[in-house]
Amino acid sequence: MSSPIADLSYRHYDGELLPPVNRWWAIAKASIRLSIKKKGFWIWAAISSYWYLIMMATYYFIDNFFSGAAQRGVVQLGQKNPLLSTIIWKDQFLNGFSISQMLLFVIALLVGVGTISNDNRANALLVYLSKPCTKADYVIGKWFGIFLPLTAVTLAPMLFFYAYCAMSFKSYGFFSQDALLLPKLLLISMIPGAVHASLALGVSSLFNQGRLAGATYSGIYFMSLFFTKAMQVVHFKMAAGDHAASPLVDKLYYFSIDGIQIGLAKWILATRGSELFPHQSDLNGIPPTSLSVPQPSFAYIVPLALIACGIGVLVAWRRVRAVEVVGR
Amino acid sequence: MLPVGRWLSPRIRRNALTTERVVYCCVSVVARIENLVVRYGQFTALNGLTCEIPEGATGLLGPNGAGKTTLLKTLLGFVKPASGKAEILGLDAASGDRMIRQKVGLMPEQDCHIPGMSAVQFVAYAGELAGMPPEQGLRRAHEVLEYCGLGEARYRNVETYSTGMKQRIKLAQALVHGPKLLLLDEPTNGLDPAGREEMLELVRSVSHGKGVNVLVSSHVLPDIERVCDRVVVVMGGKLRAAGSIKDLKRIEGDSVDVELREASVPFAQAIQRIGGVISPPKFTTYRIQLPGKPDEVSRAILAAALETRAQVRGYKIAERSLEEAFLDAVS
Repeated sequence: MSSPIADLSYRHYDGELLPPVNRWWAIAKASIRLSIKKKGFWIWAAISSYWYLIMMATYYFIDNFFSGAAQRGVVQLGQKNPLLSTIIWKDQFLNGFSISQMLLFVIALLVGVGTISNDNRANALLVYLSKPCTKADYVIGKWFGIFLPLTAVTLAPMLFFYAYCAMSFKSYGFFSQDALLLPKLLLISMIPGAVHASLALGVSSLFNQGRLAGATYSGIYFMSLFFTKAMQVVHFKMAAGDHAASPLVDKLYYFSIDGIQIGLAKWILATRGSELFPHQSDLNGIPPTSLSVPQPSFAYIVPLALIACGIGVLVAWRRVRAVEVVGR
Repeated sequence: MLPVGRWLSPRIRRNALTTERVVYCCVSVVARIENLVVRYGQFTALNGLTCEIPEGATGLLGPNGAGKTTLLKTLLGFVKPASGKAEILGLDAASGDRMIRQKVGLMPEQDCHIPGMSAVQFVAYAGELAGMPPEQGLRRAHEVLEYCGLGEARYRNVETYSTGMKQRIKLAQALVHGPKLLLLDEPTNGLDPAGREEMLELVRSVSHGKGVNVLVSSHVLPDIERVCDRVVVVMGGKLRAAGSIKDLKRIEGDSVDVELREASVPFAQAIQRIGGVISPPKFTTYRIQLPGKPDEVSRAILAAALETRAQVRGYKIAERSLEEAFLDAVS
């Protein structure tokens, strides 16, 4: 079949060539395009917002049930809904954020962990670095290629829930409880992206196969999660006893991939978190608030997060090379 | 503007000294390498290499491990030299200047692609990385892939490609941004004879009359002979020979090859009697070296043939094969 292009001989390109700067953005765009092509990304992104949907549905029914009761005269007209009045709104965002951690990890596995290892397998670094891209362009581009999709997936349901609450529960202190909630949520939404991008990049750069990198990252994630859950159990046991939980246990609780993210979110929101309905009765005499681990201090959680992210990026930086050096 | 330098092969230099015959070959230089030393830890890959790569198509010859790929990587700034200087298109390679890689296209030896992309996406992306606006990159990707013979296969994922197709796509991604210099590292690796022919034809057509300078690194001599006009022979990280292929194949002392109808001992004796040096015949061809000007030599040989009644079937200036020249250079 004849080609639709008539002239098949080589023609030189004399068109525009942009200055060799900011190539990281081209790399980030390509990574994002590859990520959003995956069906799994959209499926898990949808699933990760499930807790926000449950909360929205719960509050909707509580609100409507109370309105109906008021119309039937069961409660006094104009009386505020006692359930909604007790809700600490920022804690609900923290709940949604905490519960979506596992699903965000799955998305990080899908879009992030194979990013450098697959390039290693396909010798793609030779393509990147033979073009006017630096190692910094490559690492930064790949980092943003994970960070931006994860941030979008974290932020979208948060904003949706925020918009719903802003429209429906203004009279229940949604704005007055924390006037800076929106910028804080914007900041929180970047945490999973930043943490997973840094760590996944580091793990990814160690392997030549995405699956191996994925298995390793999963191992690290679940081992650290197990540790965090163990610390949570210790905290419960101590809280249920006569004495308060040890500060060391509370600190170790944040010593995991999930823990770092939840700790940062608690620190930004300035809350230790609470249950869906904070007024619920005590559990065997323990107030529900004491079940949640206190918010970490800035001096602990921020350096911990920076060290974890820094190690990931540093490993990636050290491993990315255009040439396999032999004889050393 | 490209720096202009005088490029003279060592063999010609030697000839110029010994036979007082001066042959100059004045061409522009695309890369200049001076006393280049590259080390990987304790291992010295390039050991004081000095050479110039002229415009046009140049072959970088050498056995495996000679330092060819290291030289290409040093020119691109992937490897920092321990000492010496490498200049490419007038820019210092050691500076890591990204302009170098914007003007140069590399076709690496190994298979390489971006996972998860079709050929069009891959080549367009390579163009974008090189600095082309995205829409130009896409347009050009179609053009270059068509030129490289990928046709409708360009919409397929690169990971499904055969070795030959992968070689073509490597060439396409190196060409997409219109480089001034194309570095080809073993371009015919893993290709079947037909694929090899096509690849060599592609490279030859790009390097001749299209304004693209090509440096082909290979140890396959017929490939180099087919595509290149000049060669640089490297071995053990050092320059062993450089010059045009024609010069390299030339035999010192103006020998001639004389083909007879059948081997003739009297003819050989006659040549020896007039002071000639004659080699044992290959089939019916004698290599003869006689003092004197070319027309005097031919007259003397024909006279000897007439005297001994040997029938001359062929007469030409003797030259070695590139393989012989290469073996001579590296031995």
